[in-house]
Amino acid sequence: MQKTLQVLNDLVREGVLSRYAIGGAMGATFYVEPVLTFDLDIFVILPQSVAGLLTLEPLYAALRARAYDEESECVIVEGIPVQFLPAYNDLLVEALNDAREVLYEQTPTQVLRPEHLVAIALQTGRDKDRERVRLLRDEAELDEAYLQNVLKRHGLAGKWNPWKP
Amino acid sequence: MEPMETLTPEIARLIAAKERRRRKLAALPFAEKVRLVVKLQQMAAPILKARGRSVKVWPLEEGKPVI
Repeated sequence: MQKTLQVLNDLVREGVLSRYAIGGAMGATFYVEPVLTFDLDIFVILPQSVAGLLTLEPLYAALRARAYDEESECVIVEGIPVQFLPAYNDLLVEALNDAREVLYEQTPTQVLRPEHLVAIALQTGRDKDRERVRLLRDEAELDEAYLQNVLKRHGLAGKWNPWKP
Repeated sequence: MEPMETLTPEIARLIAAKERRRRKLAALPFAEKVRLVVKLQQMAAPILKARGRSVKVWPLEEGKPVI
C-alpha cells in the first residue's frame, strides 16, 4: 500500500488533487480491528476547473498517463483497487479538512478522523455502514465532544442516539 | 446475545478472550493491520470467486512479517 500512497502524494504535489484522505473500511481499520475489504476508498478534494465543475476526469487521465488501468469503478494503483470519491457534501469537505496526518511506514498520508467516519456511516446508512458504526463505537477512541459537534452541525444527532454507548 | 451473568463460566471466559483479542488487534500499528487485511483477502478470495464474485487480492509488501 505504501507505493499506492506515494502515487497519491505525487498527485497532490502535481496539483491533480488538492487533498485526499483514506476513508471507508480501510479508514476504519486504522482505529479498529482489521476489516475485510478489497477496495481502498480515497476521499478527494479536487481543484476546481475553470468552468467551476468538479470532475474526476483529470485525475483519471493523470493515472492513465502512469499506466494505471480503470476497472469498474476503481483504478488499480500499484496492484490495489482504489475508489476515488469526491467530497460531494459539507460533511465530507469538513472530514477531509480535519483528516489526521499519519505515517504509513515511512510515507505520510491522511486518514479521516473516527468521529467523521461515524458521521459518514450514519449519513450513508447501509447495512455495512451500521456495522462500521458499531465497530467504531465499540473499539475506537472517539472524542465524544468533537463527535457531538460534528453530528449536530450535519443534522445527524438523532441518528446517533440509538447507538450511544 | 445472552447476558454475561447467564452464561456458563467457560463460555464467558471464551467471549472475554475474544474481546481481548479484538482490542489487541485494534491497537496494532496501521501497517500491520493492512498486512492482516491482505491475509483476510487471501482467505476470502477463493470463497468469493467460487460464488462468482471477482476480487483482487492486494500485493503484500515484501520482507514484512504477517503476524
